[in-house]
Amino acid sequence: MSLDYLIRITIPMLQGAQMTVLLFFIAIIVSIPLGFLITLMAKSSNKGLAAFAHTYIYVLRGTPLLLQLLFICFGLPLLPVVGEYLVMDRFVAACVGFILNYAAYFAEIFRGGLLAIDKGQYEAAQVLGFNKWQTTTKIILPQMFRVALPAVSNESISLVKDTALLYAVAVPELLHFAQTAVNRDFTIMPFFVAGIIYLLMTLLLTLFFKWLEKRTKFE
Amino acid sequence: MAIMRVSNLKKSYGNLEVLKNVTFEIEKNDVVAIIGPSGSGKSTMLRSLVYLEQINGGSIQVGTEYLVQDGTYATSQEIKRMTSKMGMVFQHFNLFPHLTVKENLELAPKIVKGEGEAEIRKRSEELLAKVGLSDKAGAYPAKLSGGQKQRVAIARALMMKPEILLFDEPTSALDPELTGEVLQVIKQLAEEHMTMIVVTHEMGFAREVANRVMFMDNGEFIESGEPESFFTNPKTERAKAFLQRV
Repeated sequence: MSLDYLIRITIPMLQGAQMTVLLFFIAIIVSIPLGFLITLMAKSSNKGLAAFAHTYIYVLRGTPLLLQLLFICFGLPLLPVVGEYLVMDRFVAACVGFILNYAAYFAEIFRGGLLAIDKGQYEAAQVLGFNKWQTTTKIILPQMFRVALPAVSNESISLVKDTALLYAVAVPELLHFAQTAVNRDFTIMPFFVAGIIYLLMTLLLTLFFKWLEKRTKFE
Repeated sequence: MAIMRVSNLKKSYGNLEVLKNVTFEIEKNDVVAIIGPSGSGKSTMLRSLVYLEQINGGSIQVGTEYLVQDGTYATSQEIKRMTSKMGMVFQHFNLFPHLTVKENLELAPKIVKGEGEAEIRKRSEELLAKVGLSDKAGAYPAKLSGGQKQRVAIARALMMKPEILLFDEPTSALDPELTGEVLQVIKQLAEEHMTMIVVTHEMGFAREVANRVMFMDNGEFIESGEPESFFTNPKTERAKAFLQRV
């Protein structure tokens, strides 16, 4: 096992990891605000909106992400009439799937965060004259995010690993290149390398969230 | 001159009447202690004055305006203007845990009133000195004792320059040895002629600091008067019975 060989298999995997990282950032950046929006809908006094949000969360959490990805990539184009307009680039389709799925999880996490906030906080804000927007942005959201942080951290790490599902919709990413190398060279080494790359990514993420939790300890 | 008039206040939850025909007036510079058994409606009454509870009937007049007249509320903008004349101190402090002491004091003047930074800072420093917590300006509430938290809460309410300050059992959540420091601050405010309504179980404090005591039982005021005469010679049987118990 030469160093040359290691470098030769690692380079395409790192290129594949770019897809992984790109998907991770797109999914996290869009699904967190979307998740929060769904939380607000679920808590809305409008019964229709609330029912929609709860159904959304139920369906997206209650079915496998893999099924959702296959559905979007290969299922939607088969729909009569509208199907031909729903053919998306595989990577784009995968992004849509990840965003919709993770938004449902984040919505539940944030809902828990909101429940943890004492009603005295709303009352104090009201008596001090804050309007609804000021109360939400200055008082409630910062506390909600703080409460939700450990769970958000956990979800983010799951997301890194779930990106491997791109493999199933044939978007070349980290795992795809590892598998290719294993088949071609008949060696287990590429799987180790892939594992180490995933571990490095989750390590960075873990350290980032540790730092964030420490910074927002409010003590 | 009365700066607050409450007449025939009624509130019920379903069939349960928690306030029946509550009527009283608050004069400028009054320090009114509201006492009575638990569940008698004291807190609900106090909270309805700042629109934390909605009433079902009666009137609340703030200055010359009606917050609610014969059960009909003013517009939300008018409500906001009237309630901004009142400050409130809660039993459980309700400080904002993600903000430092100083930020707790300064946030509302900044974003609600849009006051200048220098003006706000000057006042927050003065008020923290007044409640004896200048050294805690940069601390988060989690690092404070209960008594310190409540003193910060009082300073935070004062930052908005209220005409009337309401206290909802300000020492009930405190360890006994910490009540003194909070009562001392309220006493000092009384000496400075701050108009205050204090719901309290501290009879000694009510007797010493209030200029009027109002005794509430079962959703209505049974008796009110000067503290000395009320505590030494209550007129009603219910007040007598209550004072014997506490």
